[in-house]
Amino acid sequence: MTDNTTAIQVSPNKRYSQYFWRSWAIQDSWNYERQMNMGFLYGIAPTIDRLYPDENDPEQVAKRKEAYERHMAFYNCTPQTSAFVLGLASSMEEEYARDPENFDPETINAVKTSLMGPLSGIGDSFFQGTIRTIAFGLGTALAMQGSILGPVLAMVISAAFSVPITWYAGKFGYEMGNSFLERLQSGAMEKIMYACGIVGLMAIGGMVATLIGITTPLTFSEGTVVLQDILNGIVPMVLDLGAVMGMYYLIKRNVKTTWMLAICILGGIALSAFGLLA
Amino acid sequence: MNSIGMAVLIGLVAVFAMLDSRLLGRLNFEQPLITSTIIGIVLGNPAAGLASGATIELMSMGLVQVGAATPPDMVMGGIIATSFAILTGSDPETAVAIAIPIAVLGQLLGVTFRTIIAALGHRADVAIEKGNFREATNYHILWGTILYSTMYFVPVFLAIYLGTDFVQAVVDAIPAWITAGLNFAAKLLTAYGLALLLSMMASKGMMVFFLLGFFACAYLGLDVTGISIFGVLLALILLSIKGSGSAAAAGVDDDYDPLEDEDF
Repeated sequence: MTDNTTAIQVSPNKRYSQYFWRSWAIQDSWNYERQMNMGFLYGIAPTIDRLYPDENDPEQVAKRKEAYERHMAFYNCTPQTSAFVLGLASSMEEEYARDPENFDPETINAVKTSLMGPLSGIGDSFFQGTIRTIAFGLGTALAMQGSILGPVLAMVISAAFSVPITWYAGKFGYEMGNSFLERLQSGAMEKIMYACGIVGLMAIGGMVATLIGITTPLTFSEGTVVLQDILNGIVPMVLDLGAVMGMYYLIKRNVKTTWMLAICILGGIALSAFGLLA
Repeated sequence: MNSIGMAVLIGLVAVFAMLDSRLLGRLNFEQPLITSTIIGIVLGNPAAGLASGATIELMSMGLVQVGAATPPDMVMGGIIATSFAILTGSDPETAVAIAIPIAVLGQLLGVTFRTIIAALGHRADVAIEKGNFREATNYHILWGTILYSTMYFVPVFLAIYLGTDFVQAVVDAIPAWITAGLNFAAKLLTAYGLALLLSMMASKGMMVFFLLGFFACAYLGLDVTGISIFGVLLALILLSIKGSGSAAAAGVDDDYDPLEDEDF
């Protein structure tokens, strides 16, 4: 058994604030090879340093090297939800240091790898999909009326979710360890994703109806029949819906981004120049 | 303010936008609505910054992707476009059309830098092997910050410092039909951005919620706030109905899972 009386103790709040800030900083060395590997190492380094603090004890230095090497493995996760993995992995490292005989350190990376997929999925669709869409949908609508409250509100909404979720994800990961993991897997994750999907999709639908504003200047019978008025009478904003559904179809057909941008810009100039749409 | 000073300030706003995703977990300071407003304040014209922020935000919605993004970097594009719009007095739509090629060049720089950082990862492996633990974490927090900041500062500084006069000349030469065309193209880009968001969020059986949101706003005149509130309430109602069997789990993938009937 390693002598663990040497492990340095810190207050829980110090620990949680390290999880918090270092999860937010996880993309600071994002790269094409192992992505957020150094970011995760940076996050868990204080925990490892506390467990093996003695630089003159060869056994501790060896353990510390082993742990640092372990966390250089490929990693990628949404920063906010990654705090949960960081908390959990930290509690596992502590468990391993306490009981190296019965704890297989390989499980630490196995847990990291199995969690990063679902937590990225839920994190990206929640933060990049739902929250950003709503925050910036509202903020842009206000800014279009010239109100400085637009950007302020967008940031307040973003922070109101990002800050507490990162903090509590780290705390729960550390405190509840594996038991919380089991609870998440028993269907709560799907329910959260489902609720995020509903709110996000309805907000996107609302933005299509309120924020694009495509119209047609076409008229018939010497200007007495205005096509736009007829369209408004049947389905309001139908041109906006049509444009989005057309783009959606092309995206689903895997048309490349470069082509899509060319269609938008060149096609847009052409349609406008011929007086079909505005 | 002289043009070097202005280019430096805008370069620093760009660094701030980059560090939002590097050090603040992408808190969204990088979004064009925010960066444009800051640039408007820096250049002494907050109203123009706010207005072009709203326009560029709509155009770039959905284009700011996570991680290994390859579409034109609209964080950088938005910063350059707003600066051009304010400094030359052009439309934000026109400024974006000029800024996008620069943002694509910036993206190439991003590819190079992310490869360099992968090489630093191997230096970190060696440092750990030698027991230089602080050196290993410095590759992340120190070198990562420096490289990512440089990656944004240099192209933005050069674009503003060298490009403004050139852009002014280009803007003055653009005929009216192209300006009108770009204004319409901006609407199509907004539609494209929303379609990208839609394809990211919509799995089988979930499109109905998108249509519900659209028609509620189109016919009933709700705004985005209103529809979001109804969305939250609808989600709560559907989650509380047990065993309906009609609900599907939303996911980033296309897989279809019936909502499990368990306690929340």
